[in-house]
Amino acid sequence: MRCAGDIEARQVDETAINIDPIQVGGRLTADAMKAVIAYGDGYSVCDNCRKPFRLDYIKKPPIADFHADLASWLEMDACRVVPGARRGFQAVCQGMVQKGDPVILTALSHYTEFMAIESVGAVPREIPKDRKNHITPDAAAETIERVIKTDGKAPALLFVEGVDYQFGNHHDIRGIAKVAHSYDIPVLYNGAYTVGILPVSGRDLGVDFVIGSGHKSMAAPAPSGLVATTEEYAGTIFATTAVKGDQTGRTFGIKEVAMMGCTLMGVTVMGMMASFPHVKERVLAWDEELAKSRVIIDALLAIEGTRILSDMPRGHTLTRIDTRESFDRVAETHKKRGFFFTSALGKRGIAGVIPGATRVWKFNTYGMTKAQAGYTASVFLDIARENGLAVND
Amino acid sequence: MSQRATDALFQSLFLLTDIRVMLREAAPLHQLSAEEKEKAAKLLKSVRRQVDILEEELI
Repeated sequence: MRCAGDIEARQVDETAINIDPIQVGGRLTADAMKAVIAYGDGYSVCDNCRKPFRLDYIKKPPIADFHADLASWLEMDACRVVPGARRGFQAVCQGMVQKGDPVILTALSHYTEFMAIESVGAVPREIPKDRKNHITPDAAAETIERVIKTDGKAPALLFVEGVDYQFGNHHDIRGIAKVAHSYDIPVLYNGAYTVGILPVSGRDLGVDFVIGSGHKSMAAPAPSGLVATTEEYAGTIFATTAVKGDQTGRTFGIKEVAMMGCTLMGVTVMGMMASFPHVKERVLAWDEELAKSRVIIDALLAIEGTRILSDMPRGHTLTRIDTRESFDRVAETHKKRGFFFTSALGKRGIAGVIPGATRVWKFNTYGMTKAQAGYTASVFLDIARENGLAVND
Repeated sequence: MSQRATDALFQSLFLLTDIRVMLREAAPLHQLSAEEKEKAAKLLKSVRRQVDILEEELI
């Protein structure tokens, strides 16, 4: 079925249970879909934009209130919506980092954190992970010391992921922030896999910046995200324009430079706003999400040779799994080779695993119903049995 | 201008969106429980009502 011209109507989530590691937290709520229908036109949120002509001042629809609510929900002082977490990283770098400054991130950092650092001409320095794939306060301290020695100055900023994208592991953010602050280094918390999925308080974590992803974890259309900060840094990150046209003498009011004036318009901000009441509610049900995840993890671990590479017991619905000694053994002799697995999943209505993956791969169980969790678990077991793998009942 | 027709159009799209979410929650087998079937029936009835309004206003 096509929705327009050669564009196929995407029906992945209507026809299958999606376990794609990056997609599940960003699926729209019904209210977000309705907002998309009503606000699809380009400048749809600007009908009632009045002086001082800035997105976060618009009262109808209540975008101004939404900004205040986001800040208060994250227990931070100020917040802006941005086109994706990556633009939040970039905005913070633009305000906090000078060309040539060392900036710390981690061995588990997303590539866009590197891009943000590179975009301001700074130098990335990584905190190594430990043998359990954790970023620790001790490793952060050692890295800061190393950087001060080798670069001759303290890092301008430290990035750390609340939950990393590679293993879905939690890291000791409070401990790392405490270490960084002892060197006067501000801390950016990458909440792409936490904000909108589980409860997050910037104040409790002791961080200076909280970044969230709308399309990854807040049931919002792409590209959307947020950057929140404290009163101490709000003026720097959200600095207003000071330039003047040399011929026309024009100035640009209170437009914020790092936000390029206005940020999220139309469907992105409206989808994010429409989902927000549901998002606030769903983070409180995080334990239920973990329980559903456990049903699937237990089934996978019952298949002989399968190993979970993420922390156990799981503290997140994103999991990295090693099936080299189970499904990949089947792939060695199967006529479809590695594609037998995703093909079998697809036939049973499970989507989101990279085609051909049978070795080390990731999945995310977030947002499925209990019945879907039970069904997914049974599908993995059925595929294992059908292909002669031993299953421990 | 027919505000009634415009409202009916949006309302029908919103009701269909609720059905879309039902499909998502019941994927991949789409076997609805008795309660879910009742909900689907109510939604479909409401959609029909909105389509009737559109017909009254536009045709």
